[in-house]
Amino acid sequence: MDEVQVKVKPEMVTVYIMGQAYQVPAGLTILKALEYAGFRLVRGVGCRGGFCGACATVYRLPGDYRLYADLACQTTVKDGMYLALLPSTPAERRPYDLKKVKPAGETLLSLYPELARCVACNTCTKSCPQKLEVMDAVQAALRGDVAKVAELTFDCISCGLCTIRCPAEIPHYHVWQLARRLYGAYLAPKAEHLHRRVQEIAEGKFAADLDRLMRLSKEELRELYKAREIEPE
Amino acid sequence: MANQPNAITPHSSPITYFPGCALKDQAKEYEKATLSALAKLGYAVRELPRWNCCGTVYSQTQDDLMRHVGPVRNFIRAQELGETRLLTLCAMCYNTLSRSALFVQNPENLRRINAFMDDEEDYRGGVRVVHLAQFLLEEIGEEKLSQAVVKPLSGLRLGAYYGCTLLRPKEVAVDHPDRPEVLERIIASLGAEPVIFPERTECCGAYLTVTRPDIVRERVGEILLSAGRAGAQALLTSCPLCKFNLEERRPLGAPKIPVFYLGEALAWALGVKEIPAELAKSLTGVMR
Amino acid sequence: MSVYPEYMQESIRRVEETRPVRMGTNYPRLPLAEQEELLRRFHPDYKPEGKRPLRVGPSYGELVPHEVADLLEAYPLLDPGEIDLSQVDYDVDVLVIGGGGAGTVAALWANEAGIPADRILIVTKLRHGDSNSIMAQGGIQAADKPHDSPAIHFLDVMGGGHFTNDPKLVRALVEDAPFIIKWHEELGVMYDKEPDGTMITIHGGGTSKKRMHSCKDYTGLEIMRVLRDEARNRGIPVLEFTPAVELLTDEFGQVAGAVVWNLETEEYKIVRAKATVLATGGWGRLHIQGFPTTNHYGATADGLVLAYRVGAKLRDLDAVQYHPTGAAFPEQIVGLLITEKVRGLGAQPVNAMGELFVHPLEPRDVESAAFIRECLPPEKGGRGLGVVTPTGMVGIWLDTPMVDMIHGKGTFQRALSSIYRMYVRFGIDPTKEPILVYPTLHYQNGGVVIDEHGWTGIPGLYAAGEVEGGVHGKNRLMGNSLLDYNVFGRRAGLAAAEWTKKARLGHLTLRHVERFVEELRRAGVPETRRAPILLPDYRGKKTLARVVDLL
Repeated sequence: MDEVQVKVKPEMVTVYIMGQAYQVPAGLTILKALEYAGFRLVRGVGCRGGFCGACATVYRLPGDYRLYADLACQTTVKDGMYLALLPSTPAERRPYDLKKVKPAGETLLSLYPELARCVACNTCTKSCPQKLEVMDAVQAALRGDVAKVAELTFDCISCGLCTIRCPAEIPHYHVWQLARRLYGAYLAPKAEHLHRRVQEIAEGKFAADLDRLMRLSKEELRELYKAREIEPE
Repeated sequence: MANQPNAITPHSSPITYFPGCALKDQAKEYEKATLSALAKLGYAVRELPRWNCCGTVYSQTQDDLMRHVGPVRNFIRAQELGETRLLTLCAMCYNTLSRSALFVQNPENLRRINAFMDDEEDYRGGVRVVHLAQFLLEEIGEEKLSQAVVKPLSGLRLGAYYGCTLLRPKEVAVDHPDRPEVLERIIASLGAEPVIFPERTECCGAYLTVTRPDIVRERVGEILLSAGRAGAQALLTSCPLCKFNLEERRPLGAPKIPVFYLGEALAWALGVKEIPAELAKSLTGVMR
Repeated sequence: MSVYPEYMQESIRRVEETRPVRMGTNYPRLPLAEQEELLRRFHPDYKPEGKRPLRVGPSYGELVPHEVADLLEAYPLLDPGEIDLSQVDYDVDVLVIGGGGAGTVAALWANEAGIPADRILIVTKLRHGDSNSIMAQGGIQAADKPHDSPAIHFLDVMGGGHFTNDPKLVRALVEDAPFIIKWHEELGVMYDKEPDGTMITIHGGGTSKKRMHSCKDYTGLEIMRVLRDEARNRGIPVLEFTPAVELLTDEFGQVAGAVVWNLETEEYKIVRAKATVLATGGWGRLHIQGFPTTNHYGATADGLVLAYRVGAKLRDLDAVQYHPTGAAFPEQIVGLLITEKVRGLGAQPVNAMGELFVHPLEPRDVESAAFIRECLPPEKGGRGLGVVTPTGMVGIWLDTPMVDMIHGKGTFQRALSSIYRMYVRFGIDPTKEPILVYPTLHYQNGGVVIDEHGWTGIPGLYAAGEVEGGVHGKNRLMGNSLLDYNVFGRRAGLAAAEWTKKARLGHLTLRHVERFVEELRRAGVPETRRAPILLPDYRGKKTLARVVDLL
């Protein structure tokens, strides 16, 4: 990628990357600050857009006792920020056979009994970069409300920050993935029209139409394309 | 026939109710029966918003501050409503929440818990945890309760199984730890014949049911034998775990005595739930 | 307090002024001839100085973007003479290169076809799931509604691709589509549904029927994580942080596996495999023509390089898809995808004067060309009606407050929660203020030539997902890339499994690489050029680089 004249001269701030001080332009995300400082990252980078949870980061700010947690690709650096990347969370994932488990609380609790250790300290919620109500999801799991767990955790990107900070040692994101699949496979209503259509295709209902289209020339296809009926909004 | 109970004046402010995890899952019938019974008695009940688990499963094994965070968070939820009383049905929730309420009566403990929970307003104290049994006797009273009964359970011999958590430690006990009588008084108000048996305040074994079911079986055997010898036709409890143990851990040789929730008996007598057929045939009263 | 500078707020006020008139109206869709004219004059693909003819390999003489040619005409990372092929580290039936959507689907279906999990191996350069698949937002197409049919879907795809698609591949795509959705439903994917279970489907750019299925605006994430979870349940092994750097062949010209490189331990390993599925994804991190990109960190066209060296044919590499709406402000998120669904839900593209200047849902290339024309200054043939940001980026407004106005308060936050979240993090509430967008490098329309089974024509080599070409012709419609990786991932996985039953491998060799190197030397390619590049390099001042002279 070429270098360009930057139109606006950036002011510089100090960030402490795993203990070491670096001067970086203000306004950069933590991820870009790391790269500016010379790190070529292998771990701790993924989509760079806030979807994959690869760049989980914990940091502190001067004069503030709190430990903050967020995504490096979505967080702007602040002067004096003291940070560490957490590119991996140790959390055992317990395998299961979707076809053999029930969509109920007992499935969540039998695979992840640590859930019952929750002391409602809310640390998980405070650590979530997606601002999900994580503790409420744990509570819903304890109550066996699988649908609620699926709803509350849909936007979870499995970054692992809640899991690594939880004093009760609950592996949250593994529970959420299980709950969501249970919901999607068992509790959500089935799409009947979809099953019918799959059946129709298997029976060859559209074969003749497609055969015909395959034989048309580009010009004939173009004419058909122009004459398409567009479904209104 | 003259069956109109005294008209119950509907109460204006709802009772705030803490369900606890079991009542939403394995013990749904306890909640359903009790809420309809309370409605019949003229009480509107609102569930505590965003309540969290009291933590009883592990908190009872730990001696640290953290286990009080969950209960206190529930007290803050109540405080936000301006509520000073929290109704519980589950005996274990009652016990866990009460012990935390006691714990934070000490100002230093309260200060430390509040300091940790920097995401909530400070708990100022003052929420009282009330068990269903206390509510029925203190708020309604035996006389009014009897008058509200539509289908007296006459002829039915019911034993109250207290277990541990309603009575120990004594600081949170709903009655005398060795000679309690609150549940018997309620049973009598419902028209039934309370059966006292020596093992009614002995522990069923609780969570040992997971790791040492043999111990639980032994305990349950003693409890059921004791209840059977005293002539109980059914047992009443307010703890989902006790109910599980008494039903699922009965050893061979011990009598099979059905176990119901306190709220269910209440619901039968108030006419909002059908009394199970096996017990109905013992009724000697007019309303059979 | 808006984070937009004052002069941009002035433009926003004009947008707000014209909004009442614009609501309920729409710019007419362009007739085909006008679409083609727009593309010719303004789409980056049509800039001759952006590409050059290849000087080596099976696609000799074909025009490809410079950034891609630099990789196809490049030397291997490892010296073939120094690799010890006698020590095989992994011996499997099916090797899948790439741990995104296509790779995971291929592995699952190879397993379904009877290959035991421990005879399959997925290798991937980052973590399992790190991919473009996970970033797709808007949806996946399938003709499963009664008033729709695969034949209509076929027509939409062909038209969107300007009739350059391979009809056999398009037929496979549209015929398999409903089955794929059903398979997802069984796996537990949480598609948006009505209370009675009917799939909620909307239009995408270029569709004639509403057949885009979605999972809020996390469609890609939701599908990918379910597929990954299923692969984990089945115990399919994955080597993470281990990209493939070279394919292996045998003396019969079959592809026999790959040399892989552990990025952390910096060691190479030899994987011998009866069948290899290339599922390496796209090329966004090459920043073609200097554009920012929506793609993930690892999108560096590795698969094209590997396939080219064993003699695979490539097609339509000159067809680069720019997504019309990449974020253009604030600087931290420049290039990131703003899903087409935003326009599907009613947000109109509007210039600096508040005027609607194009139909919101033209096919992507047409839409991108329209935005570029709007922003290009008059002396360069454009209309000069874009907004320039303080850091030199340019864009037009997407009038996002319209979404809640049309569908009710809370719609945006619910249906587009990832975008909402992204903007709120940087101080903008898209339900109250419009957002600035500009085309961003998004998708590799073409790629390795395959047949309808995902076979490349080279024994033992299959390809699926963004790395292959022919499905979308010169332009992919929204919602067909998620479909592509599922349909062809499955077909490739099944075909690979079938092949392993009769495949007999000879001796492992890198002879094809040595021949390719000879060709490079003859063509005078400098030895400093190496490929695959595996990861982009953003160190130092390159982080500050702005998009090169978009105007």
